[in-house]
Amino acid sequence: MNALVLLPIVIPLTASAVAVLIRAHHRLQAAWAFGAMLSSFICSGALLWAVWSSGAPLVYQVGNWAAPFGISLVGDPLSALMAVMCQLVLTGGFLYALGCRDQCAQYPAFYPLFLMLAGSLTGAMLTGDLFNLFVFAELLVFSGAALTAISDDKFGTEAAYKYFYISFIASIALLLTCGSLYASYGTLNIADLARRIAADPSPPLVLPAMALLMVFFMVKGAVVPFHFWQPDFHTAAPTPVHAVLSSVVVKLGIYGFLRMTTLLFTEQAEVIRSVLVVVGAIGAWFGGLGAVGTYDAKRMLAYSTLGQLGFILVGIGWGTPLALSAALVYAFNHSLLKAAMLMLAGSVASYAPVKTAAFTAITGLGKKLPLAGVLFMLGGMGLAGIPPLNGFVAKFMLFSSGLDARAYPSLAAIGLAGIVTVVYVFRAFQRIWWAPLPEGVKPKPYGDRLLAPAFLIALSVILGVWAEPLIALSQTVVAWMTSPEQYVRAVLGG
Amino acid sequence: MEVLLALTISLLFATGIFQMLRRNLIRSVIGLSIISNAINLFLLASGAYQGEAAAYANAAGQRSDALPQALILTAIVISMGGFAVVLSMLYVLSVRYKTSDSDEVKGLTH
Repeated sequence: MNALVLLPIVIPLTASAVAVLIRAHHRLQAAWAFGAMLSSFICSGALLWAVWSSGAPLVYQVGNWAAPFGISLVGDPLSALMAVMCQLVLTGGFLYALGCRDQCAQYPAFYPLFLMLAGSLTGAMLTGDLFNLFVFAELLVFSGAALTAISDDKFGTEAAYKYFYISFIASIALLLTCGSLYASYGTLNIADLARRIAADPSPPLVLPAMALLMVFFMVKGAVVPFHFWQPDFHTAAPTPVHAVLSSVVVKLGIYGFLRMTTLLFTEQAEVIRSVLVVVGAIGAWFGGLGAVGTYDAKRMLAYSTLGQLGFILVGIGWGTPLALSAALVYAFNHSLLKAAMLMLAGSVASYAPVKTAAFTAITGLGKKLPLAGVLFMLGGMGLAGIPPLNGFVAKFMLFSSGLDARAYPSLAAIGLAGIVTVVYVFRAFQRIWWAPLPEGVKPKPYGDRLLAPAFLIALSVILGVWAEPLIALSQTVVAWMTSPEQYVRAVLGG
Repeated sequence: MEVLLALTISLLFATGIFQMLRRNLIRSVIGLSIISNAINLFLLASGAYQGEAAAYANAAGQRSDALPQALILTAIVISMGGFAVVLSMLYVLSVRYKTSDSDEVKGLTH
């Protein structure tokens, strides 16, 4: 039963190795990899169901080494929810890759790398050991950078190099954290560390460790002062890859901050929270204004991710139970919407005569794609927070939790920044779908399929109309998160 | 011994950061490599390394902790893989842009 935690990590990683062996048969490889993605998604769903119905987390001790000494994989409500979110969007991204006309999706290395990305991301969410987090994060960066470097775009390697270099520096920060915490407490197990830090926060290396861990999660999550790699990366990466990277990989940062404030550094949480509110409010404005001023549809959505992450971080920064559950719902909904929007932008770009998402190249192309237009409109309404979509539910929860927490200045800041979202989304819609096709531009007759974005947008509409289960789930998760001693007891036993 | 180790680590860090800030891409990668070696020494120091007896020695006294050494082993393997990837991307960049000056690699800025 406890091996259920292991399955969403092991299935994609094993399947990735097997997929390399069958690289000569492309269709077989695609079918195999899709089967692996689907089964690991089902396993993560089963994990969430098991955790939710029993109310107790599943803990798997790798190699049967007892908790503080071995590596524990912890499927508690928070990480199970995050794992399901990741696997859902990753499966959507894979579906897009199957119907994608990019040359790079035909390479024998594409599916194995994608599966490795899936396995390492889920692993980073489920692990209960700080050093193991480093290993999974490195694996994530390796596969993400390789997938970008093989992009059809001629600037793919430049984007991948920037991403890799900056992520490498982030990994150095995480290693320094590991060293500092190990020198102070002699353990790297997150539950054990949480217990020891709460008991004795006096060692001098604790605050540097906290700061460096924040740097790590900020780089991973593309939070504003550490976001440099993100817009460049998304301009050049292949569509199925950046749809996944901009929606769920950045959520590793969100997950990390949730863990830091509620489990690892509960004593120092106020410091982290006040930093997150400031950084989040700046990010909401920076991302929004960057998105308004950019020249490329994908780049616009990448800046929009910076903005939306700002909203989530402000929610975590307020730190009340209501704000935390709003941040969780927001993160889930943003993953679905942003992945779908990026896929739609990529799909439109695949019809352009020269494959690029620059507004100059895709103006008016939407005339031939009415379905994509409807989906983009719906997704844009979701991002802006207009009622029937799940984005509205998330924004409403966030703003009402802000009123509840009496955090009026930050609430005003992000409330105004929310209006900017409307501006850039509808500006893009207008340029692609309303503007006439320029003279002499001949769109390609075929492009990427719309099945994956349609699936994700449909899910967002369902979650917008019938939001009850997700909200109830997020409240269960928050109730679990606010009592960290339960986590410690579940992992260490006793 | 401890002071010497601390000085070595700080010297490696300083060299690495100085090289990372250079405009030359190759130098910046070398800086990254130097820093990752400094980190390995730092991890070794976090196990209260005094270097007088190996971890597996049976004699009592100044034994070093084995776990940081396992961490370093993993970190070395991962950083080796990382440098293979970075250097291969650097090769592609130098062929494509015909330069190793980071200011010239600006295909994505408008």
